[in-house]
Amino acid sequence: MSNMVVKKWLLQRITAVILVPLLIWFLSVFIGLVQKDFQSIILFFKDNVNFVLSVIFLIIVFSHMKLGMGEIFEDYIQDNRYKSVANLIITALATILPLITIVSLVFIKFN
Amino acid sequence: MNDLNKDRPLSPHLQVYKWQMSSLLSITHRLTSVINTAGISVICFWIIALYLGEDCYKYFSFFISSAVGKFILVGFTWSFCYHLLNGIRHLFWDIGYGYELKTANLSGIFVLVSSFLLTLGLWVLS
Repeated sequence: MSNMVVKKWLLQRITAVILVPLLIWFLSVFIGLVQKDFQSIILFFKDNVNFVLSVIFLIIVFSHMKLGMGEIFEDYIQDNRYKSVANLIITALATILPLITIVSLVFIKFN
Repeated sequence: MNDLNKDRPLSPHLQVYKWQMSSLLSITHRLTSVINTAGISVICFWIIALYLGEDCYKYFSFFISSAVGKFILVGFTWSFCYHLLNGIRHLFWDIGYGYELKTANLSGIFVLVSSFLLTLGLWVLS
């Protein structure tokens, strides 16, 4: 049990360190990108580097999110059943949403 | 009663803390983590809308260009900036730096001010 907690603590930090450059990249391109027209945004995601960085960003950011939300539930939800349900919802969100998004990115890139 | 004893203790709830710089920033870090979860979800829907095609995307771009949409985007930007900067502050603590009261307060003020400046800079420069 304690080993698991240590692992989660470490993984939270590792994903955080990876996210520092990725988030800087993301913020620096996203705000300009979101204001562009449809075709320009599609072209952006067809680029190899942007495609790969976006996929990595999504995977790491959702892992980090899941770990962080789990930590908040651990602190503020006493009832283990509610905690399990909350964790289940976050796990589902952190799996399904990035998965659909990455599949969308793959279709955008290779269409 | 037995069931109750098996549970691990909760963190003290927020109302019991005396408001000060360190606690305010710590709470904001968690608050922004929740806002960022919403933000990254919106970004996912944005990408999915892109895949679904121009007809679907035009609703999204209409919303983004409205005043409410802009406000939400700027809010998300600040939330991400704050969490990024304060996250770096946390990482320094994790490797053992910045615990002195004066340093911790200064880095806290630096994070708070920089998060607004960074948000402003990102939107002005883009």
